[in-house]
Amino acid sequence: MIHLDYRDSRPMYEQVRDGFRRLIIQGAMAVDEKLPSVRELASSLAINPNTIQRAYRQLETEGYVYVVAGKGSFVAGVPEKESVRKRELLKKLEEILEELFYLNVSEEELGERVHKVKEAIGREGGKVNDRGN
Amino acid sequence: MIEGIEICKKFGDFTALDHLSFQVETGTVYGLIGPNGAGKSTLLRHTAGIFKPDSGEILYDGEPVFENHGAKQKMAFIPDDVFFFNHSTIVDMKNYYKGIYQKFDEKVFEELWACFPLLDRKTPMRRMSKGMQKQAAFMLAISMRPEFLMLDEPVDGLDPVMRRQIWSILMSEVSEKKMSVLISSHNLRELEDVCDHIGIMNKGKILLQHSLEDLQSSVTKIQVVFEDEMPDLDREFHIVSRSDLGKVHTLIIRGDSGEITDALNKYHLIFMEVLPLSLEEIFIYELEGEHYEVKDIIL
Repeated sequence: MIHLDYRDSRPMYEQVRDGFRRLIIQGAMAVDEKLPSVRELASSLAINPNTIQRAYRQLETEGYVYVVAGKGSFVAGVPEKESVRKRELLKKLEEILEELFYLNVSEEELGERVHKVKEAIGREGGKVNDRGN
Repeated sequence: MIEGIEICKKFGDFTALDHLSFQVETGTVYGLIGPNGAGKSTLLRHTAGIFKPDSGEILYDGEPVFENHGAKQKMAFIPDDVFFFNHSTIVDMKNYYKGIYQKFDEKVFEELWACFPLLDRKTPMRRMSKGMQKQAAFMLAISMRPEFLMLDEPVDGLDPVMRRQIWSILMSEVSEKKMSVLISSHNLRELEDVCDHIGIMNKGKILLQHSLEDLQSSVTKIQVVFEDEMPDLDREFHIVSRSDLGKVHTLIIRGDSGEITDALNKYHLIFMEVLPLSLEEIFIYELEGEHYEVKDIIL
């Protein structure tokens, strides 16, 4: 479910956090679905439970997950206001665009790509909505 | 909590432990790393209550451990060279430990068989390979239901599947039972996954101890290419190590990666990338300062 890569420069807890965030955004984990318990995940990934706790806490602060005392963590959905993450991603996109322009990729070509990706996601079941545009 | 306060130990003239202090918080994992002969195993023998320190104290939840049966009931220790009685099988050893450890849980012991499929009930332990003996020792230790677990090179000699099996059981116990664990290992890659705190030992002292998180954010490895000549960065940064390959400079700088990248962005850069810094690298750089390093020699 969560894949850890030791050659990744992100710390372990970020990899766990990003992994779940991805699953939630893609809809692979439905709203109100239970996340694995800290013990289960610590045991199956063979990593420190406090690392997982930390990832879960962040997901909760970001609004992806809610906690029911004594029961565990559950998927809350994709939070409406995702400014931090959005900014992060846009910055990454800028970096990629910079390189692409350098490689003489035209704006039209990029536009086509954007369109294609959007269509593909639309086909998957309309997980992307146009809220907040 | 396992606590060591100002522990000193001399063997003749040799100072094995030198005013050493550390803490393993309840429900956390502390990894001891250090060069051969640094005193890791000696320290573990003290924390297990086998050796008596010349001065200083070792406490389990505030209670001294040496010759304290009550405290020892709560702990298990797996030394690097595991011991089994002559001709005894794992079942014999189980019966022996059951007589000593009041909390020994036979049900857990039986359940653990599933995790170690290659172990055999009838073969005398001493005839088994080192790896098999380690597995057996681990099975016995977990069945003692310890609150404090001390492991000296727990996965040394184990195959990758069994190593992971052991970490997995350990992490589950830490999470579920709030067990406190003190591990010494040279397998830094694996310690990185399982530890909360890391202590780097050298010559009987702890050079530094930090949470793994702080340790990893205290140094940054970065690759940069400058548009022009490389500016003099030594004035601005504390550079621990540098290697240059053409225009690509790989630097290891003390400090948080965010601050360093911000500071470097002032220069004209063609390229900059923060690289993952492994515990192994941190270990090497920290000990280089102690004049313990790999020498290039041709024989």
